[in-house]
Amino acid sequence: MNTDDLVRDLAHDLEPAAPLRRPAVRAGAWFAGATVYVAALAIGMGFVSGYPDGVGVTFWAVQVAAIVTSLLASAAAFASVIPGLSSRSHWLAFAAAALWLVMLAATSTAGADWSAVSSATHEWWCVGFIVAGGAPLLVVLARMLRRGAPLNPATTAAFAALSVAALANVGACISLPHANNAITFAWHGGVIAAATMGAAACGRLLFFWRLAPKRTER
Amino acid sequence: MTTPDSPLDTLGDLMRAAQQGDGAAYAQLLRMIAPRIRQVVRRQRGFAGAAEVEDLVQDVLLSVHAVRSTYDPSRPFEPWLTAILRNRLVDGARRYWRIARREVKVDDLDVTFPDLEAKEESADLSDAAALREAVRALPEQQRQAIELLKLKELSLKEAAQVSGTSIGALKVATHRAMATLRMTLAKRRE
Repeated sequence: MNTDDLVRDLAHDLEPAAPLRRPAVRAGAWFAGATVYVAALAIGMGFVSGYPDGVGVTFWAVQVAAIVTSLLASAAAFASVIPGLSSRSHWLAFAAAALWLVMLAATSTAGADWSAVSSATHEWWCVGFIVAGGAPLLVVLARMLRRGAPLNPATTAAFAALSVAALANVGACISLPHANNAITFAWHGGVIAAATMGAAACGRLLFFWRLAPKRTER
Repeated sequence: MTTPDSPLDTLGDLMRAAQQGDGAAYAQLLRMIAPRIRQVVRRQRGFAGAAEVEDLVQDVLLSVHAVRSTYDPSRPFEPWLTAILRNRLVDGARRYWRIARREVKVDDLDVTFPDLEAKEESADLSDAAALREAVRALPEQQRQAIELLKLKELSLKEAAQVSGTSIGALKVATHRAMATLRMTLAKRRE
C-alpha cells in the first residue's frame, strides 16, 4: 500500500476523537475515585478499631507523604502518555517518593529490631490489602492510561503501580494501624518496590501501539 | 517561536478540525506532515531502502492516527508530532536489530548447481514419480520452498511473500531441499 492510499484510507469516514483532558485533570479524577474506594475498603476492614501506642504525628505525616506521592505519581503516569510534554511531572513524583521514603526510613528504622522483620507474619495482611485492594485500582488506571500514547511503557507502568501501591498502603496502614517501625518499613516498602519494579518490567505488555491495519492487511 | 501565520499553526488548526471528524482537513494534515516525516526518517536511517523508509513513514502516520486524541489543541503541534516520530523511530530501530539478530545471513547460494556433477544429476531426475515422492518426503518448509521456487517458478521475493518467511530463510530451505533430493535420488539409483 502506498502512502497516499494510506492517507486516503485514514481520512475516509474519520471518527471524531475528542482531545483527552489535561493529565492533571485526569489524575485528579482518578485519584478522587481511588481515594473513595480505598477509604471504603479501609472502613469495611475495620478502620475504627482504635490506634495503638506509637501512632502519632509522625505516623500521619508519613501517610500524608504517601498520599502526595500517589497523587503526583498518577499525574506523572498520565503525563507520560501525552507526546511532547516535559518530564517535570516525573521529577515531582520522584521527589515526593524520595521524601516519603526518607520519612518512612527516618521514623521507622531508629533502633530497629531487624530480627523481628522476617517473623512478623501479621504483615501478610497488609501485603494482601495492598496487592488485592490495589489490583482493581491498577486495572482502572491502566485502562485510562491506554487511551494515551505508549511512548515509554515501563515508566508509565511504574508510575501507575507506585501511585496505586502508595494509596493502598495508606489504606492498609489506617485500616490496621501500627506504629512505624522496621517491620513496616521492610514489608510495606518491599511490596511497593516490588509492585513498581514488576509493573515496569511488564510495561510493554500493558502499553503498546495499537495501530489500524493497512488496507492490504485487512 | 511560531507566529500565528506559520505553517505549524496551520497544522495545529488542521488537527483540531480532524479531532472534530473533518476528514478533508485530516487528509491535508497527513499529506503535509508525510514529507517531513520522510525527510527525518531518511536522515536518521540512511542505510534503509526506499521500501523500509516508506514503511516507517506509514508506521508514524498510523501512530499519529491512533493517538490523535492526545493532541491538546492549546499546545503547539510540532513537539507532539516530534515525540511520536522519535518514539516510532526508536521502536523501528529496535525491531530492525531484533530481526537482524534472529535472521541467518547467508551468501547468495546457487539454487541451481553450477558444477557439472550436479547438472548431470539433475538431468538424471527424469523419473517424475520418484521425484514427486522425494519432494513429498521433504520437511514442510523445504517442500514449500521447492514448490514455490522450482515448481511454480516464483521469484524469491514473491515466494517470501507467499510463505511469510524471509528471502534468506527460503534460500537456506531450498539449498537444503536440493541437497536432500540429490541424496535421496542417488540412494534410489544405487
